[in-house]
Amino acid sequence: MTAPLLSVRGLVIEFDTAQGRRRVVDGISFELGEGEVLGILGESGSGKTVSTLAVMGLVEGNPGVVGGEVTLRNGAESLALFEGLEGVIKRRAGKPDRKNVRRWQRMVSRRMRPLWGEMMTAVFQNPRHSLDPLLTIGVQVEESIALAERSLDRAGRRARAVEWLDRVQMSDPERVYRSYAHELSGGMCQRAMIAVALARAPRILVADEPTTGLDTTVRAEIVGLFEDLLADRRRSMLYISHDIREVLHLSDRVIVMRHGRIVEEATAEDLRAGRGERDPYTASLLAAAELGEAL
Amino acid sequence: MRAVPLILAALRRLAGSAGLLIGASFIIYMTVRLAPGDAVDAISPMGTPPEVKAQLAAEFGLDRDPVTGYFAWLARSAVGDFGESLVFSPGESVMAVALPAFKRTVLLSGLTLLAALVLGLGLAILLGEPGPRQQVLTAPAYVLTAAPSFVVAVLFAQGMNWFVQAFVEQGGYETPPWFPIPIYSESLMPYVFAGFAMLAGDGLFMDWFNTLRAELLSLKQAQFITAVRAKGARTVGHIARNLVVPVLSGFSARLPLVLGSVVIVEYIFTLDGAGYVLLEASRARDFPMVVGLSVLFTATIIVVSLIADLVRALIDPREVARGG
Amino acid sequence: MGGKGQTLALRISGGIVAIVLLLGVIAPFIGYDPVADVDYEAQLLGPSWAHVFGTDGQGRDVAIRLVKGTEAFFLPGLLAAAIAVIGGALAGAVAGYLQGIGRSVVLGGLQLLDTLPRLVFIILLCTIMNPSITLIAGVAGLLFVPAIATVIRRKVEALGSEDYILAHVAHGFSPARILLYHILWLQCRPLLIRQATFVFGYVLFVETALSYLGDYGVQEPSPSWGNMVAQTRDLAGQAPWPWLFPALAIVVTIAAFLSFGNLLARRDEEAIR
Repeated sequence: MTAPLLSVRGLVIEFDTAQGRRRVVDGISFELGEGEVLGILGESGSGKTVSTLAVMGLVEGNPGVVGGEVTLRNGAESLALFEGLEGVIKRRAGKPDRKNVRRWQRMVSRRMRPLWGEMMTAVFQNPRHSLDPLLTIGVQVEESIALAERSLDRAGRRARAVEWLDRVQMSDPERVYRSYAHELSGGMCQRAMIAVALARAPRILVADEPTTGLDTTVRAEIVGLFEDLLADRRRSMLYISHDIREVLHLSDRVIVMRHGRIVEEATAEDLRAGRGERDPYTASLLAAAELGEAL
Repeated sequence: MRAVPLILAALRRLAGSAGLLIGASFIIYMTVRLAPGDAVDAISPMGTPPEVKAQLAAEFGLDRDPVTGYFAWLARSAVGDFGESLVFSPGESVMAVALPAFKRTVLLSGLTLLAALVLGLGLAILLGEPGPRQQVLTAPAYVLTAAPSFVVAVLFAQGMNWFVQAFVEQGGYETPPWFPIPIYSESLMPYVFAGFAMLAGDGLFMDWFNTLRAELLSLKQAQFITAVRAKGARTVGHIARNLVVPVLSGFSARLPLVLGSVVIVEYIFTLDGAGYVLLEASRARDFPMVVGLSVLFTATIIVVSLIADLVRALIDPREVARGG
Repeated sequence: MGGKGQTLALRISGGIVAIVLLLGVIAPFIGYDPVADVDYEAQLLGPSWAHVFGTDGQGRDVAIRLVKGTEAFFLPGLLAAAIAVIGGALAGAVAGYLQGIGRSVVLGGLQLLDTLPRLVFIILLCTIMNPSITLIAGVAGLLFVPAIATVIRRKVEALGSEDYILAHVAHGFSPARILLYHILWLQCRPLLIRQATFVFGYVLFVETALSYLGDYGVQEPSPSWGNMVAQTRDLAGQAPWPWLFPALAIVVTIAAFLSFGNLLARRDEEAIR
């Protein structure tokens, strides 16, 4: 494999809570190659969502990322997202000062701004809340298209938007084009969100628990949709989930997180085949998945 | 398509507002009938000649039972006939006196609310999320703005007098020739001070500012805004559009409060608006005038909230779906 | 957030509220004759040991008039708060609980009451019957019923679908018990506290405003904070004492009631969670 598209080194994330400082991500490292699907598996609170938000420069809260580095490679250029982090965070009585935290969050956001969408974009859980409630689905897909394909005129954008809605397997793309989020089911909202994200033509798609809260059959459809859309391996994906079967089904490689650390890293094939020595936590997840299949 | 449910929703709202207007006018009418003893004597000023009393009784249907009396009165009021002023401006029709005054009042209240919106939104954007330092700052501000509008107005009126005596009358203040509007104008000045008194009083501004800041904060943290950022699009348009709905609701929800404080503030600054007329007419027991103005105030609140509802329904598709 | 500062603010505002309530209770037992207090030898004196807050244009002691002035709004304020809170809580609970036509009727009635501009309606009432402050406060309380009912209704509707409320229903508790105890008392208490202090503050506002205007409310020579402030009209530039202290009293008392209600409610909310 050539140099990875995304590499994360020793990422540390902390938050202040009422019970004091809590370390939610404790020095994790991983890489994502071109055209690769990396599954991140973990139960809620394992730090998987917040680490992927950090990769996108979207972590908010106090103080957030306190150490480590995220490197994004865009063609020949590469960008170190948290470069100079230690220099910016001033500590007062051992705690990062609130004002400085804001300053570095602005700095990261400025660095990341040209890369959002272009380099990577995301779909989240709660698809209904991911769409602007006041705009039709069509307008929101077109907003992405306008950014990705600047040469298209209005009619062209409209045609492309309907095309995307068709590609995410909407049964009536024309109707969905005119619909608002509150008029669609959760599954349809997630498809619409996937269309909005992919129409932006990102090199990396971050899918953060995209099936959580959906019905079982709809979940299978969404997973199938991801499989189809990524079949050509032209983009990479970070697929975050707590469901080991989804992760195994979609990913090339899998990392398993627990309590803010990576406890396991393996190819999906090895995991499926049961090859090699496993961390006890991974083993229990696999056993649970087998039980699920047996039922 | 979308137009049909929208029109249906609009008609439903319109009918609801008409119902409210009828109900509110009924309450106002029944309040008149509550007058102790002989209603006509109770509501007419001292020394009213008998023929005027008879006319009053006819106008308000006091010679009939409450229900038919109400409808007779409603039929006349519906076409804007609230009778003639007795004391405040004897012989003139109530509407002829009340409407021009009311226009000034609506202008003053509307501009005050608008100024509150602009200032509040500007401050909310500038200050961002509340930190510990701002809590320290907002506590005294909270105390200050808890002051009732009439106390603020009394203080402001004092301040205005002092300002006029100290500067303007000494010739210390002159409008530079290039400035298009007069900085000091005898007729404008009290309105400006009155507007700021209403803005600062009754916690109007502080409450509005807190609401706006909370709305802005929750919007900024909304998942769909994160999604918009993640795809590299500008969030400003999305935030602004989604802010319109709470702003409209806030505007129409605060109007009754402002139309209340405007009454006293106008009186203190002796601005010849509807509030001033209302109080003067009320002291003189100029009954047709007071009733006519009460109906006007109430109707304004109903109409503005109807407009706010309709605009909201145009912007927010969920409003139509909710239908309520 | 800010636990210490919040406790301090709660203590300060609570202290002011307690003082005002205490004055309201003892004021009726203080013998005070406003006519006998007139002393043209002692007009417009500044604060001193004999007259803590100075004297007014007729040489009357401002401090005693401030204390006696609490009578004007104390009982009416309590009455209005009681009417608004009880009426609002019941109407809100009923509107949240009912379905269909009953709900529409209650909501329509509340909306109707809500469209009346409070102060304008009170002035209309004053024009017709020259009512007592108590009656005005009662009407003000009534006019606040819709605002409280709306808050309570939203809460009841939100709670209606909560699992533990459904569990209570499943356990066979009566709807009245669930509504009154589990929802209104246990869940809406903070909201009701906040609204009660707000209504009390509003009555203080209306009483002082009407007394300020002079024709309604408390009439000279009886003291009201409002008619004390009204002395600005005659004494504008001369001496600030007669009206400054009453104006401050109004502002501080309303602020204290509002923030006491808010802080108490916030603490209660945190305790519920």
